[in-house]
Amino acid sequence: MKVSAALPPGVSALFFSAARQRRRLEAELTAGLESAGYSEVIVPILDYFEPYEALLSQEGRQELYRFIDRDGQQVALRGDFTPMLARLLAPQLPSLELPLRLFYRGDVVRYAEDRPGRQRESYQLGAELLGVADGEGEEEILRRCLDLLVAARVPGARVVLGVAGALDTLLEQAAPEVPERDELAAAVARRERDVARRAAPQLFEVVRDGKPADPEILGLRVAAEVERLEALCRSIDREYPSIDVAIDLAEFARLSLAPDLAEAMRRRSYYDGLLFRAYSDSGALPLGSGGRYDRLFSSLGAELPAVGFSLSLDRVEAAAAQGGEG
Amino acid sequence: MSAGNRISGRSGDRPLRLALPKGRNQVAARQAFAAAGYPLNVLDDDQRKLMLSAEEEGFELLLLKDWDIPLYVQYGIADFGIVGSDVLEEVDGDLLVPVRLVEGRCRLSFIGTAGSLPKPGAQVRLATKFPNTARSVLAERPWGAEVVKLHGSIELGPILGLSDLALDIVQTGRTLKDNDLVELEVVREVAPCLVLNRGSWHHRRDTLNEILERLEEAEVVR
Repeated sequence: MKVSAALPPGVSALFFSAARQRRRLEAELTAGLESAGYSEVIVPILDYFEPYEALLSQEGRQELYRFIDRDGQQVALRGDFTPMLARLLAPQLPSLELPLRLFYRGDVVRYAEDRPGRQRESYQLGAELLGVADGEGEEEILRRCLDLLVAARVPGARVVLGVAGALDTLLEQAAPEVPERDELAAAVARRERDVARRAAPQLFEVVRDGKPADPEILGLRVAAEVERLEALCRSIDREYPSIDVAIDLAEFARLSLAPDLAEAMRRRSYYDGLLFRAYSDSGALPLGSGGRYDRLFSSLGAELPAVGFSLSLDRVEAAAAQGGEG
Repeated sequence: MSAGNRISGRSGDRPLRLALPKGRNQVAARQAFAAAGYPLNVLDDDQRKLMLSAEEEGFELLLLKDWDIPLYVQYGIADFGIVGSDVLEEVDGDLLVPVRLVEGRCRLSFIGTAGSLPKPGAQVRLATKFPNTARSVLAERPWGAEVVKLHGSIELGPILGLSDLALDIVQTGRTLKDNDLVELEVVREVAPCLVLNRGSWHHRRDTLNEILERLEEAEVVR
């Protein structure tokens, strides 16, 4: 009998030299994290669904692979490392010495339509820094991400920075009703120039340039954050000459901190401070992303500053391979 | 395939790559780019070539089928492209859509014989090239439909009884008239869109902004 070697859409297998190459990359990147004081954690790929139900948006619930186990419990395959780590660490916090620096690697599995660039299984490497407040923690975790991009020899890496909810005030002024605000936020994220221009000149500036000419229009808190990120960009430019870094608030227009809007967007996000995404010069999709997620721990009953990031090693490898060909 | 022959996806070491459709949207795209100072005269040379170098404009052109353009842009092989919003909605990629062309607009409509728009509660059969779009449109209708995907000549569905009605693009309405069909309801306007991927946007924002500004100044997009 002939056995088919076909795999479901969005998953892949690595054989021989491809597998060796993946393990070499992993070894190089994890060695870098270990030398920076980060320790590895290994978590299961199967977990109960119930602890995550309140943390997930409708969209997130639909993406999870979940089923009723033989004992009647609803379980899910790991769709994201960060909430699982937060759930497992939150009860242990009183006995743990802070700050905690940890990293993980493994598959995340999420349903995705069979469409361009969508993977159902993605091999991730990520790091979390717990217990370091404000800018200090954000800058450290961003630098760890940049270190990995340099170590992986990603050509022309570019990292875009944002702040969760940065556009909430502008969006609310331009569209007081939630459904219209949701549509406007989506249009800004898609860079629809005419829609943004008609809504507010400053939103058009965000779409075109990544931020408004006068950040104070975003409110004093966000303006101060933008100023801090501008200083951070300048210092990263000096420290990492091979990486471009820029502020782009439109990239994260749909990551709102306003509960009513977040619900309407069906994109409840646990991020609540710095946001960043990394791109190579060959790929249309981000290599990885990260940011601050204090409110994820708050929702689990623990007060703890938390920042982290994850990279898709499939995309990092593909980008590095393009660099090798160039 | 050797690395030397392979089309590189790296955007830093090559001209901007523009994916153009071969069909009706190419005319609208070409008019818009010409008005903005990018005549793309190389398109007159040899339409059998699939890749052309528009040196004067600083572009490489890829000539593709409408349905393939979102894929080429999404995977970063092309930096930007022109594709109809009908195809874009159906494919649902994570593409940026900064502007839509003024020319080349048409309508996505329910079509069938006169008076055949279903009554509330009815269950019918609907032929279309756009099954994903059809399902999302049907979710807001008081009637239901079994969606049948066809690849062309959608109008034949209601004429020959394969379906009760069709969801398809209407430009002038002449094909409908010639076949005793009518436009029962306009669902939405369809426009050729300029799309680009996030990676190209972040790496070549200044150049892309300049192109978009020239298109806006020529009043060929909105």
